[in-house]
Amino acid sequence: MPAFIVHLIHTLFPKTVLFPDILLIDLGLVVGGIGLFIFMTKTHRWGWLWREWLTTVDHKRIAVLYLIAAIVMLFRGGIDAEMIRAQLALPGTHFMPAIQYDEVFTTHGTIMIFFMGMPFIFALFNAVVPLMIGARDVAFPRINAMSYWLFACGAILFNISFIIGGSPDAGWTAYPPYTGLAFNPGPGENYYFLALIIAGIGTTMTGINFLVTTVRMRAPGMTLMRMPLFIWSAMVTSALVLFAFPPLTVALAMSLFDRLFGSSFFTLGHGGMPMMYVNLFWLFGHPEVYILVIPLFGVFSEVVATFSKKQLFGYPIMVASILAIMFLSYGTWVHHFFTMGAGPGVNVFFGLSTMLIAIPTGVKIFNWIFTMWGGRIQFTVAMLYQLAFIPTFVIGGATGVMLAAVPADYQFHNSYFVIAHFHNVIIGGTLFGLLSGLYYWWPKMFGSKLNEKQGRVAFWLFFIGFWVTFSPQYLLGLKGMTRRLYTYPAGLGWHELNVISTVGALIMGAGFVALVFNIVWTLVYGERDLTGDPWDGRTLEWSLPSPVPEYNFARVPVVHARDAWWDMKQKGQSLAQLSPEDVHDIEMPRNTPVPFLLGVAFFVVGFALTFKWWPIAGIGLAGVFAIIIFSGFDYEDHHHLKAEVVRKTEASLGRLQG
Amino acid sequence: MSSVPLAEERDQKLPVEFADEKESINITGFWTFLVTDVLIFASLFSTYAVMHKAAALGPTSVQLFKMGPVMLETLLLLTSSFTIGLGVYAMRRGQVRALMLWMVLTMLLGAGFVSSEINDFISFAHIGATWHTSAFLSAFDILVGTHGAHVTFGIFWALTLLFQLKKRGITARTARKVYTFSLYWHFLDIVWIFIFTFVYLNGKIVP
Amino acid sequence: MAHSETELTISEAYERDNDRALKFLKPRFHEEKFPMTQILGYIGSLILTFAAYFLVINRVLPSIALLAVILTLAVMQGALQLGVFMHVREGRGLAWQLIPLYLVFLIALGMVGMSVWIMLFKSGVS
Repeated sequence: MPAFIVHLIHTLFPKTVLFPDILLIDLGLVVGGIGLFIFMTKTHRWGWLWREWLTTVDHKRIAVLYLIAAIVMLFRGGIDAEMIRAQLALPGTHFMPAIQYDEVFTTHGTIMIFFMGMPFIFALFNAVVPLMIGARDVAFPRINAMSYWLFACGAILFNISFIIGGSPDAGWTAYPPYTGLAFNPGPGENYYFLALIIAGIGTTMTGINFLVTTVRMRAPGMTLMRMPLFIWSAMVTSALVLFAFPPLTVALAMSLFDRLFGSSFFTLGHGGMPMMYVNLFWLFGHPEVYILVIPLFGVFSEVVATFSKKQLFGYPIMVASILAIMFLSYGTWVHHFFTMGAGPGVNVFFGLSTMLIAIPTGVKIFNWIFTMWGGRIQFTVAMLYQLAFIPTFVIGGATGVMLAAVPADYQFHNSYFVIAHFHNVIIGGTLFGLLSGLYYWWPKMFGSKLNEKQGRVAFWLFFIGFWVTFSPQYLLGLKGMTRRLYTYPAGLGWHELNVISTVGALIMGAGFVALVFNIVWTLVYGERDLTGDPWDGRTLEWSLPSPVPEYNFARVPVVHARDAWWDMKQKGQSLAQLSPEDVHDIEMPRNTPVPFLLGVAFFVVGFALTFKWWPIAGIGLAGVFAIIIFSGFDYEDHHHLKAEVVRKTEASLGRLQG
Repeated sequence: MSSVPLAEERDQKLPVEFADEKESINITGFWTFLVTDVLIFASLFSTYAVMHKAAALGPTSVQLFKMGPVMLETLLLLTSSFTIGLGVYAMRRGQVRALMLWMVLTMLLGAGFVSSEINDFISFAHIGATWHTSAFLSAFDILVGTHGAHVTFGIFWALTLLFQLKKRGITARTARKVYTFSLYWHFLDIVWIFIFTFVYLNGKIVP
Repeated sequence: MAHSETELTISEAYERDNDRALKFLKPRFHEEKFPMTQILGYIGSLILTFAAYFLVINRVLPSIALLAVILTLAVMQGALQLGVFMHVREGRGLAWQLIPLYLVFLIALGMVGMSVWIMLFKSGVS
């Protein structure tokens, strides 16, 4: 065997990726991959895959792609979580080697935030935002697809690290000097930085896209103060993405340059300043937690109004508080590193600004409760998540205010108290919100309701599992257990609480299984929803048939009130009864391979840079530029859907008069 | 002039790059992109501000910077901002040849800027002032280098626009592309002014 | 649809906008027979640049004051570029870009200023 092949094998498959469990997964992936390939070829589905999914620019299909990715990543991140809990269940365990434990908690955090939470949110945005504002697509359909494929490329790059080359192992925050070349020579951290930079570019483009969509693409009559709250939340989230991701990109790029090109930003010698990374990272990181939760505030605002059969209480105040949260979230980042010792002035400023955020958030909680007050509440699964969210998020928020008190934070810092706090807000706020939105909008996306009975089982498993997992962790934190701890001796009083926590994690795992069963069962046996409006909804997406035709609205609606569809129903109007002369030719974006190819090119760049294969990285980069230039010269990016075709589709849905 | 009635002035047609709804949405989108780019540079400026004094064993800013080439670069970039401004002015009057001429001039001035900058970097490398030397030089190189990379990208972008203008003339779509390019170019000019002030001039102020 | 809209005037586009109540975003266009504004803007930018240069080279002020003055000149120069060359108040319907621009200048200023403040490490305890 030539020497370079031996070298290649040693580079790609070092000892850290040759644990027996990983080899088993390798085998499973190879067998599964071959099986999938044979299946696709036998059933002649490659063309279908290419035409319908890989080259699509339709926001509804991109939403499905995001959703699939998010659920797969929820599985991966969940497995990581179960592994962490298995390792920590008993004192002195060696369930897995310490190095693998480091990798697992790193990938758990990174995947759950960047590759589960954000794509799940973008799935909901893509599925619903254009429908809610009466638009035919997002502002930039092609860029929307590019965002997806860049995200997918980043996600794949990040996920293959555990089978090829080794995973990152410096925590999801990737602080230097842990990530410095001197202490971490493997390719793992390169994977981390490149994957997040590439996915981050995609996310920034999504932010631009949805900001412009919500600002410029609203149907006639939908003024700012008539927008559904979910649209407000999409707008504010997009603005947060715009303002938060640049510092992250810069911080990651600098760390990467330190590793690849010998610069001295965050090194220990040459005057480098590791804490500047921390500063830049949290400049992104704090707005990021609001990026993760504000969309779900929007979801809850829609869900609570629909299932209480009432207009949302205090709409203007809800809008004001969401904007206040947006502003305040930029002035709080230092509370993630109070213990750095920036000085009393700095810490007091950021402690107070952090506490201030509790006020608009509290306002929102009260408004949701007042919306339910006196309403006819329907206990659907979406509403159950809403009801579970309120107490969970209040407790998570209250412990957050505890952490904002600087002297107390010096005690809490890096303990399990912090772990419990942020899981409390991220699971209680983000995950419950995402699942609420999933159950609420599933009929619109796929044309059938998720089975409610099974959904309830999944809900209770998640809800109970969550509390069993994380309430012991508050106590563990107070008893001095620190985060990212590999193992601990018996006799510290941590033993029982850790066992309880692990049991809770298993219950949540069962919840995930129930959720997937629910989804698969519904896809196979689910009852078709023919009304298009199964929940008696209030906003415009429910005025359309499910699933929604390619062009969304045959005739663009005119909005006269907040909760536009409810208003139309009250007045006896309907978008369903369309006269043939109302239908005109519709300009639609044309499918294009550009976004997918761009993702592939970026993947080549990312993978080659991870292993410092400069020529291949150069080829990939040339590919990126070639694709961008080609896209610039491509003026045939739309086509006209003939009125006749639209009429035929609408007639087949029974929505055309005469 | 005085003979033009006021009413007609109020009811001006939209300029060509705003004439089409979809194209005008792209302009809003480009402004939004510029907002993210402002923050990329703000992050780089923050890093530079923090690391300015971290010269370690390498040269400090006072020792390193030569103002001659910097003034030349500033002059070139300011002038190129002026020429692309005139280009957009010509575009709005439908003068495609004048527009292309101004764009070529802009590109040449931009190329002059980039080559002078590269020359600077080479001369720094000759005295051992690379970004490995100190955190200060790392922060300086990435800030100025990112700007230079933007300008270089802009030159190639303008080149592709020239081909499109040649083929299609001034339409709502090509006009929008030129307009967004001009926004990009002026934006780089503003960033350079801050680099000039905050990095070079500030680097010459001895405390 | 798109074809009939190509002939809109500035005020028609504004009147059709959903959010014309936001008066501060009303667009303003500036057209001239001769590009006088551009020429004056160019001269202005040169004056501002060279003024900053000579202030620094001749060290007319103490360091901190000098930095403050040249940064003010730079901000003026930026505003000039935005106003004269970037047509910042133009837009179809409303000039929406003004809101993110105001925000981003605030945030960028905060980012640089606060980062310097934070990274000074004026702590007695660490």
